[in-house]
Order: sequence, then C-alpha cells, then structure tokens
Amino acid sequence: MECYSEQMCSIFVDGELAVDEARRLRDHLATCQRCRELVDALRAENRVLGESLHELPEEAADPVGFPRLRLSRVWGDLAALAAVLALVSVFSAWVDKLRIPEALEWLNPFSADGLTNLIFNLSYYFAHGGTAMLADYAAVVGGLFLLLGGGALLLGRRWRLHQPGLRLLIVLLTLSLPSFALERRHAEFVTVAANETVDDTLLAAGNTVRVEGVVNGDLLVFARTLEVRGSVKGDLVSFAKRTVVSGTVEGRIYNFSQSLDLDGELGHSIYGWVQSLRVDNRGHVGDGILVGAGDISLEGEVKRSATIFAGNADVSGTIGRDLTMAGGSLTLTNTARVGGNLSARVRHMKDVNIADGASIAGKRDIQVRVRKSQFTRPRFYLHQAVWLGAAMLVGWLGLALFPGFFQACTQAVGSGWRSLGLGVGVLAGVPVAIVVAAITLVGIPVSLILLAVYLAAIYLAKIWVGAFLGRMLLKPSGATTRRDWLLGLLVGLLILTIVGFIPYLGGLVRLAMVCLGLGAFAWQLHRSLRTPIAA
Amino acid sequence: MDAESNRAKGPEPREDKQMEGPDLESVIERARGHDAEALGEIYHRYVRRVFGLCRYMLDSRERAEDATSEVFLKLQRSIKSYDGRIPFPRWLLRVAGNQCIDALRRQRRGRQVIVEVEDGATVLEAASDEQSPLAAVMSKEDRAQVRDVIAGLPENYRLPLVLRYYSELSYDEIAQQLDLRRNYVAALIFRAKQELRRKLAHRSK
Repeated sequence: MECYSEQMCSIFVDGELAVDEARRLRDHLATCQRCRELVDALRAENRVLGESLHELPEEAADPVGFPRLRLSRVWGDLAALAAVLALVSVFSAWVDKLRIPEALEWLNPFSADGLTNLIFNLSYYFAHGGTAMLADYAAVVGGLFLLLGGGALLLGRRWRLHQPGLRLLIVLLTLSLPSFALERRHAEFVTVAANETVDDTLLAAGNTVRVEGVVNGDLLVFARTLEVRGSVKGDLVSFAKRTVVSGTVEGRIYNFSQSLDLDGELGHSIYGWVQSLRVDNRGHVGDGILVGAGDISLEGEVKRSATIFAGNADVSGTIGRDLTMAGGSLTLTNTARVGGNLSARVRHMKDVNIADGASIAGKRDIQVRVRKSQFTRPRFYLHQAVWLGAAMLVGWLGLALFPGFFQACTQAVGSGWRSLGLGVGVLAGVPVAIVVAAITLVGIPVSLILLAVYLAAIYLAKIWVGAFLGRMLLKPSGATTRRDWLLGLLVGLLILTIVGFIPYLGGLVRLAMVCLGLGAFAWQLHRSLRTPIAA
Repeated sequence: MDAESNRAKGPEPREDKQMEGPDLESVIERARGHDAEALGEIYHRYVRRVFGLCRYMLDSRERAEDATSEVFLKLQRSIKSYDGRIPFPRWLLRVAGNQCIDALRRQRRGRQVIVEVEDGATVLEAASDEQSPLAAVMSKEDRAQVRDVIAGLPENYRLPLVLRYYSELSYDEIAQQLDLRRNYVAALIFRAKQELRRKLAHRSK
C-alpha cells in the first residue's frame, strides 16, 4: 500500500482526519515503519509547539502590570516638575516686567494669595509622606554612588527622564529658544476668537485667557482663569489658577492649577498637581491620568489607567484599565467601571467605599497603610542596614580620597544657621541654575555636571551631618582621627535614621539634614575654590 | 478529504490542571450573577493566558493589552453565553481569539484578516527537500527561539498556528473564526509548520 503524504499525517496527528480515513491510516501505520516514524515525529513537534507557545514570552510574565505608572516614571515627572517650577520663577520675572503681576499673584510665594497656596501644597506634601520620598530619593542617589564605579552606563539610564517628563522639558526648552515659532499674547483678557486660528504655539499670559478658536501648536498659559472652549491641537501647559477645558485638547495636559475641570475631549493624558481635579461626565481622557490632588472627581471616561494621589477621590465614570490610588479616601459609585485592577492605599479600611453596582474587571487590592507596619518586616531592617553600610562605605571612601575637604565639611555643619540658610538656597536654587544653564544649549554640559554634583551632594549631606552629630556627642572637643570620624559617622547616622522615622518630625529632620549638609558643602566648596590650594 | 464529515475527534485539550481548582464551576456560576469578586478571580486566573494569546495574535504589546482588557470587560455580559459544553479556558481563549480577529479586522477597515489564495495550497505536498519535523527534545532556549520565529511569521501562518496550538481550537473553529474554508486552514497550518522548520533550521546554521 502506498504511504500517506506528510500533510495527511499532520492532519491525522492534529486529530482532524475524517473517521474512516483515520482508521485506514492507523491500519497503515501498523504495517509501515516509515509512516509510523513520521507520525511520531509530528506528534513530538506538536508537543514542542504547544509547550513553546505556552511558556509565554517574558513580557507576558506580568500582564497584570499593564503599563502602570511606575515609581521611576514618577521620579521623572517630579524632576520635570522641579524644572517647571524653576522655569516658572524665570518666567514670572519676565511676566512681572510685563506689568501683569496680578495673574500670577497666587504663584508668587511672597504674596498672601501665593503663600496660602504654597502652604496648602507644602502641608499636603508633608502629610502624604513627601519627605519620605525625599529620603527614598536620597537612597536612590546613594545606590547610584555605589554603582558609579560599576559603570557610567547605569548612571546615564537613571538620568534619562521618562517620556512625559522629557516631552514637557523639551516643549518648555524649545519655547525658550528665541528662534522658535511662538506667538506671545499678554493682556488683561486674552481671547482666541471662535473664528480665529493660531498656527504657532501660543504663549498667553493675562487675567483671563479664553480659547474659543483653534490653536494648532501647544498652548502655554499663565493666568487666573483659563477656559478652552475651542480646540488645541498640541499640548496644554497651564499655570492658571482655574482651568476649564470644555473644548478639545488633542495632546496632553500638564496642569499646575488650583483647579482643573475637564468636560471636553482630551486626546492623551493629564499630568498635574492640583488642588481639585474634576473630569465631568462629558469629559473624555484618551489616555491616562497621573495626578496629585486634594480632591479628585472622575465622572467621565478615562481610556487607560488612572494613578492618583489624592486626599479624596470620587469615581463614578469609566476607567479603561487600572485604578491606582493612594491617599485619604476613595469612593466608587454605582456607575463606576474599572477595566483593570483597583489598588488603593489608604489609612483606614472604611475610607474606601465601593458601591455594589460598581464594576471592577480585575483584582481589588486595598491596602491599609499602617505607618508602623514597615517596622515589623525583617526586610526593612535589612534595607536600613544595607543603606547604613553603603553610607559608611561612601563616608570612608570620601575620607580616604578627600580627607581635608570631608573633615572641613563636617566642621562647617557646625555653623548651624549659616549652613541651614545656605542649604535652603542651594536646594531650591541649583535646579533653577541647572535649567537656566540648559536653556542656553551651550550650557548643557555645565548643567549636567551641576546636576551630578547636586544629586551627589544631597546624598553626601547626611554623611556630613551624621559625622558632625556623632562627633559632637562623642568628643565635643579635641583632635579627630579618621577612626573617630568614622565612629562618629556611624553613631550620627544611626541617630538620624531612627529620628527620621518619627512621623512628621522625621520628615522635617530629614529636610533640615539635607539643607544643613548642602549648606556646609556649598560653603566649603566656596572656600576651597577661593584658596587656590585646598587644605 | 470531505470537509463536512470529517471530525474524528476534537483536539485533545491540554488544560493546565493546576489552573482549574475544583471550585471553577462555582466561580463561573457566581460570575454569571455579576459577582465582582468571582469576575476578579477569573481575571486573576486567566489574564496571563488571554494576554499571551493576544500578544501572539496582535503586533504590539499595547494593542494586546487593549484587547485583553476588552475581553475581561465584556466578560461580565458574555459569560452568560457560556454553557459548560467545553472547558472554560478553551471557551475564554475562543472569545479572546475572536476579540483579536475583530481588532485586526477593524485595523483593516472591515476587510478579512486572511484571504484565501487559490494557489493549490489545499493540495500542497511536502517536497523531498523539506525539513523534517522538529526534534522532540528541545531545551528552554530552543523554545524561546520557536516563539521568536512564530512571532515573526506572517499573519496568515501565525494566526492559525497560534489558534491551533495555543488556544487548542479545532480546524472547524479556526475556520469559523477566520472565515476560511476548513481545508484551507489545514493547509495553512501545515505550511506554517514547514515555514517554521525552515526558519529554525536557517537560524541554527
């Protein structure tokens, strides 16, 4: 009998051959060695295929983690935020010259209006673990320090801002270039009329800015009130006290207002830091949301994930993917729909209210953030030990390489107020300087070096302060040997670490520590640069 | 081969036993009654497998994620149509496959995803110089290679192959999903395997 074709055998192995045909083939197999081998090989092949496919590719290993906004991205955005705030100060000086200071009064920290705003933001920042982030940040920098010898590659990766942040920076930087096509308008009332089209990027400053027509580029606004009723084809960057978008923004919204209301159409994401954010039931966000806010109300539709840090969040609309929330309280009403996972970090279980009618496609992960919980985990102590060890190592390295400078910095911490004041200035001022240097393009290398020194100094701050504290406790006076200095560092760091975990106060202590250390560093740097040969 | 009469037996379903706890039925029952927790449980159990299918079928991670969330969003309604005749995972993968094909169709503005070409494919025979079937024993790295090559196959080979060996659908089901004739599906799967062998052999050279 003639043998079967390979295709026929393949169909047989797939179990898809007609009954009688299959029987005939089986009969044939009993007599034909060649066909039997082929069928066995095909079976094995099917098995390999199935097994290979079922071992999913690596990227599928964690599909539950749909593009969630990871911490690193948050850092990128924070860096962008810092850059923006610095730019604001530059811009505000410029706007000030235009004699429309009222529009920016709420941003001006030296006015009553601005002070209220600043206090609100700061208190919110502290109450929600802002300073803990600062410590994390310092820890990250510390890690980098250790890896520095390992390779500049890693360092470069850390500095690369994530896309949204980077985009914003590029937008702002290109805006500052004189050659860039940019239309500037400033008046008490700036209006883009309904029949008007602005082809360039529009920079508008005024008391009230109203866009009823079309802006083909990006829109950058400093105002008391901004209303977008028409459409913006690019991104919207708003520093208005109140922002209302009822028209269309096709790009992203970067918002640093007191309040943002969206009841129109947004093509991409919202990034921002606001007191109150509301996405009206007519509002539609084409991508996701990443915001920190006092109050958030989502009544409309968000196509992808929402990541919110809020005092109070109400969701009654649709979120296409994950809803990640951290903060005070979260409410999902009957009409709320979440297409992915819901994760919430709150203080008390009762702060999360999910109505029976609310639908959540994925997992519900509600965690009560008990402040003390971290102390019960052994991993926490391990981490602390590692960071302490790293800090000691860095301290030892620093002392071995630059003995005079390190000891002098430690000494300089003792000047107290001088260091503190100088430190506050450096902490706030250097980012501005970095951005200003970067704007000039030629200054980009300088700004990068400055950034590196700045980050390093923030990390080293705790070493100088720790060493100073330890020495003060152990040996109020007398000569310091290297061993004494290191022992002091250990004691000081231990104290600082423990004090750092006291709620609220700990945050302030950390902030003070960074400022003191930075101030001492700046002072010492200034002195050693003035004396040609550093002691 | 007679397309109508030949169904000797369906493909042997290979369900991961550990994925199917004894309570799967009750979970599905509860999910039918719009129990959010049960739906969450189903999501948790199968999201990886559904995403895997979508990732194989669609050309970007982004779109695979969109399709996956769409499948689970729609599940609240579609689970009512599940009658328990086939194992739930297979049913779910069939739904997911349909979702992907819909997405592909939308992308082509309603045109069919795979178009039958009359090139005698249905009666294709193995030429003598074709590669022999893959070796049975393969290491982990080889499997990763197999996946890589499959991912790189053109859609008309990749889709039937994935539907057959990942979703474990029968030729009939695949034919129905892709709106093709059964014989054509059989030919595509066979040719896909040959192409796969050829590419793997080429790689290992």
